[in-house]
Amino acid sequence: MNLVAWTVVFVVAFPLLWMILTSVKQQSELFQIPPTFLPEMITFEHYFTLINETPFLTYFRNSLVIALATTCVVIVIATLGAHSLARFSFPGRERLAQLVLFTYLLPSVVLIIPLYLLMVQLGIANTLFSLTLAYTTFALPFALWLLRSFMLGIPQDLEAAALVDGASRMEAFFDVILPQALPGIISTALFSFILAWNEYLYAMVLVTTEEIRPLTTGVMNMLITSYNIEWSLLMAASVMMSLPVIVGFALLQKQLTRGFGAGGVKG
Amino acid sequence: MAKVTFDRVRKVFNDAVAVADLNLVVQSGEFMSLLGPSGCGKTTSLRMLAGLEFPTSGTISIADRVVNEVPPGKRDIAMVFQSYALYPHMSVAQNIEYPLKKRGVGRADRQIKVKEVATLLQLDGLLERKPRQLSGGQQQRVALGRALVREPAVFLLDEPLSNLDAKLRSHMRAELIQLHQRIGRTMVYVTHDQLEAMTMSDRVAVMSNGVLQQCGTPDEVYNRPVNAFVASFIGTPSMNFVDVTFERTADGVRLTAPGLSLKLPSHALRQEAGGGGRSTVTIGIRPEDVLVANDGAPALVKVFESTGYENIVLFEMGGGNLVGRFGPDVRLRTGDHVTLQFRTSKLHVFEGRDGKRLNSDIEPIAGRAAGRSA
Repeated sequence: MNLVAWTVVFVVAFPLLWMILTSVKQQSELFQIPPTFLPEMITFEHYFTLINETPFLTYFRNSLVIALATTCVVIVIATLGAHSLARFSFPGRERLAQLVLFTYLLPSVVLIIPLYLLMVQLGIANTLFSLTLAYTTFALPFALWLLRSFMLGIPQDLEAAALVDGASRMEAFFDVILPQALPGIISTALFSFILAWNEYLYAMVLVTTEEIRPLTTGVMNMLITSYNIEWSLLMAASVMMSLPVIVGFALLQKQLTRGFGAGGVKG
Repeated sequence: MAKVTFDRVRKVFNDAVAVADLNLVVQSGEFMSLLGPSGCGKTTSLRMLAGLEFPTSGTISIADRVVNEVPPGKRDIAMVFQSYALYPHMSVAQNIEYPLKKRGVGRADRQIKVKEVATLLQLDGLLERKPRQLSGGQQQRVALGRALVREPAVFLLDEPLSNLDAKLRSHMRAELIQLHQRIGRTMVYVTHDQLEAMTMSDRVAVMSNGVLQQCGTPDEVYNRPVNAFVASFIGTPSMNFVDVTFERTADGVRLTAPGLSLKLPSHALRQEAGGGGRSTVTIGIRPEDVLVANDGAPALVKVFESTGYENIVLFEMGGGNLVGRFGPDVRLRTGDHVTLQFRTSKLHVFEGRDGKRLNSDIEPIAGRAAGRSA
């Protein structure tokens, strides 16, 4: 079983490994026949080129701002909304929850044109804000649905006990519900971040100015043309683009696995 | 310490009536149990008192103040939940001090109070642990501590012992009784276990299907149940019921069934008994009031159970089953034929298997059971 697992890991990880190795090889080595696996000489020149001679850092900053902003907005709204959908009884609650799921099932490409027109009319097209707003529209339903099931797994008695102990509804929410929902919130935040970080289509349609471009479209636009692909720079860029997500996963791994575990506290 | 009043309290969920017109007063300092089977409305009533549910109609008062619109935190109550509802991410000390924190009590004062409560409940040494590191009994004491620390006017307990094993449960029962004696606060205790209700309470309120059946002292509900439901719910093993033919004679009342004949003085039953031309009633007799005698109603021993300090025997009598409870000296075997008598001073007469009790309890029923030999 171990052998199978490791084989799968190797197969999946190989492209990443190749990416890292290629990024530290000299360009001349890339197209050698026979191809080399390990670099003959390690060089970081591509990284320096990317940082110093291209707008890469601008794109990086833009992506970071958009992804963090999207994550914050989504988490705040989804946590409160999920709590409401899970705990309060009001007419049409189940219908609303189903609608939320339904909007998430819509392919995002369907909404691009109307969203673009809306942004132009609002005068916010071609801004970081427009992308944050756009990403929120499809990250939020997913986050609501995910967090709702986490909230449903939190025993109702906990909140009742807090209320009897003198907490207001908001105090009960912050003191008791949030800490219990934390694994779920962290997983949802990470997913929202990755969704926003990796998004390409909306970025391409909604933003055309260099200064506002995020990494996805910026790097593609810069390094891939009809005539040439700057492989070394592309690999270096890919490595740097993967770093925040990998670091995030590594730091939050414990929370994530708890979050994956059926999203709940034992009753 | 405060009086609790339920005044015509009604709770309806969608179309189901959970609590129907509850009128109940819990005296200041009293230990009152709400007892009944699952779904009888006892927990709903407790939750309405706590402020976690809103009554559909009627008012609930604590210390003569109507609290229908008052949020749970401001009712001067504390509650122990069946699941304990300890905050999993907080330590024992943090759990216990939480109500004080919400009230704005300073840190130094909080620590003193927590220490006091911890010593009272033998939780010293556990204060830094998280709930998941505690045993069931310890968790329960932390839940009690969190309630105690507030020094509320009324304690609410929702089946707090049901998650404990039998031995721990009987130990905690004694502890709760002592606690109530020591602090003397009003306690409203919900349980489905009649033994808990009987041993711990000043009064027991028996509920069924949302309706309060009887509220009385343990002695009253045991010896003078108002109807067959209360009679069968209280006491274990349950009361025996036998359908009999009813006949008013010149010198009293005659109750007969196959193999059984009982005579009671006419004043033993209320006037309406038999007045409506009723010819069949149901008699109830508790297992400990069944006697093996030299003559009486013939019966066959089906099952003999010995617990060491008493013997529980299942008889077949007159086509039905009857349970008797005897001391260790009465030894019978399966298949033995015996004759049984009933202690008529303890006989109950009901309108039917789910009807009201017809005894007049002005004076004890005196009479003699006579058996018809086969």
